[in-house]
Amino acid sequence: MSYLLHLATFFGIYAILGVSLNLLIGYTGLVWIAHAATFAVGAYAGALFATKLALNFFLAMLLAMLVAGILGSLTGWIFSRLGGDYYMLASVSWNYIVVSVLINWESLTNGPLGISGIPKPSLGELSFAEPTKFFLLTLVLLGIVYAAARFITNSSFGRVIKAIREDEQAAKVFGYNTLMYKVAISGMGAAMAGIAGVLLASYIGFVDPSSFDVMESIFILAIVVVGGFANIRGSLVGALALVLLPELLRFAGFPAEIAAHVRLGLYGLALILFMLYRPQGIIGEYKF
Amino acid sequence: MFFAQLVANSVIAGALYTLITLGFNLIYGATKFTNMAHGAVAAMGAYGVFFATREGWGLPLSIVAGVLVAGIVGVITDRLVFSPLRKKKARASVFVIASLGIFALLQSILSITFGAQFWPLLPPGTGRVFDIAGASVTEVQLWILGSAVAASGILFILLKFTIFGKVIRALSDDEEVAKMLGINTDRMIGVIFFLGSMLAGLAGILSGFDTGVQPTMGLFLLLEGAVSSIVGGIGSLVGGILGAFLLGFVENFGIWFIASQWKGAIAFGLLTIFLIFRPRGIMGKD
Repeated sequence: MSYLLHLATFFGIYAILGVSLNLLIGYTGLVWIAHAATFAVGAYAGALFATKLALNFFLAMLLAMLVAGILGSLTGWIFSRLGGDYYMLASVSWNYIVVSVLINWESLTNGPLGISGIPKPSLGELSFAEPTKFFLLTLVLLGIVYAAARFITNSSFGRVIKAIREDEQAAKVFGYNTLMYKVAISGMGAAMAGIAGVLLASYIGFVDPSSFDVMESIFILAIVVVGGFANIRGSLVGALALVLLPELLRFAGFPAEIAAHVRLGLYGLALILFMLYRPQGIIGEYKF
Repeated sequence: MFFAQLVANSVIAGALYTLITLGFNLIYGATKFTNMAHGAVAAMGAYGVFFATREGWGLPLSIVAGVLVAGIVGVITDRLVFSPLRKKKARASVFVIASLGIFALLQSILSITFGAQFWPLLPPGTGRVFDIAGASVTEVQLWILGSAVAASGILFILLKFTIFGKVIRALSDDEEVAKMLGINTDRMIGVIFFLGSMLAGLAGILSGFDTGVQPTMGLFLLLEGAVSSIVGGIGSLVGGILGAFLLGFVENFGIWFIASQWKGAIAFGLLTIFLIFRPRGIMGKD
């Protein structure tokens, strides 16, 4: 049972990441391969606010969302002026820079050793330390992110970002300041990923730079690709499929060390096969 | 002394990045997408040599084998993934995401087959160390420099003075027109993948000789190659070479001022500056 709860909690965290990345890549057409870096910023910011400043989890989470959101808007502002491949390459580089900063800025991040002793969430008398309660908290936050993403994409704002994805020049001709829209959606997506980061930090009680490399970004990308571009519900399906997949490998009897590599290979294979045979994902509406 | 050493290191780094960026640009020119699998193909070449020398093959034969392995893997990625995508007229982002998938798949194959740990590709202390104007340079590093010069020279002659080169240039200019003129563009792109991937393999092998092999080595090589080509102007071979040397110098002189672990960050700082102020690169056309 506790094993299932553990998987369910991970599903919740990755579903938040998938939904938020889908806003960028599926709805706006920004191929952002640095969501692990945003995830890391949220996790580290939350961890630092909760340990060094001893702030309450929820306050730390709001502040971490703010930090991730501001950084996300800033990178969005710099990078999203660049067309297609340049944007993608810049994002990969950004992921690399963030991990390099986490490793090397030892006075703040404690370097490769990471930050430990991150407390579990609590609100007055109510503590979420128990796994069931932590899972419920994750589920509630996922629900909020899901609702927010649905609201954003169904609003007039959502129609503009989809127009940017289809034809940015045309959107400009209609008088939309497309750069500002891209900055805004980058900030929103990053703030959501920040929630996932804080949840991970608090759930594991520990963060270190190795969990946030480019491969992790590719994993989050695979969630979106498998679930389907421009489909919020699809990202939930994608997160479920890709969080459960490695568990099947475990049952198939791969030793733990090999299993991690096999998992990476399968994510890679999934990206290739979906691009070749089903670019719209399992339940996607939009053929990328 | 110190200055001469920095110059030597910069030139050698620039030569290595030249090899990776030449192949990267060649493929970009023909296919118009950023092939993220290029670095993993380079790693395949390095591991080809690792495997062959472990089996007791001589070094020259192993290098040929490694270069061929990289070339063949490159062609296979084109035949199985990119060529079908071209036939479907997929968007550039679809190519990029598929190439990221190939990158992850190849890296995982290397990790499963050879383990995730680091291996030296040559026994430590192999080859002589030369003293050039106060800088100490190893024999391997001279090989890197020599290969880069030779590869760029051969490529230049190939592209400029042969029919084959004309075909490639026509293809890079306009694939549709090339097709109308009766060029089998799909097969030509396969050949370009073979050439570009062999160059990547050579870069991977030389980098392996210099600093050892690890399955994750591909990402760093790819990013350095990509930074070089963007800084030089993506798709431009001469620009790529300029970009590679600029990157080599900026990195090595950068660590004069900042601790060396920031080397990677310096490269991507340079990239960001170029992206903001001159996104078309040194030689890029607007």
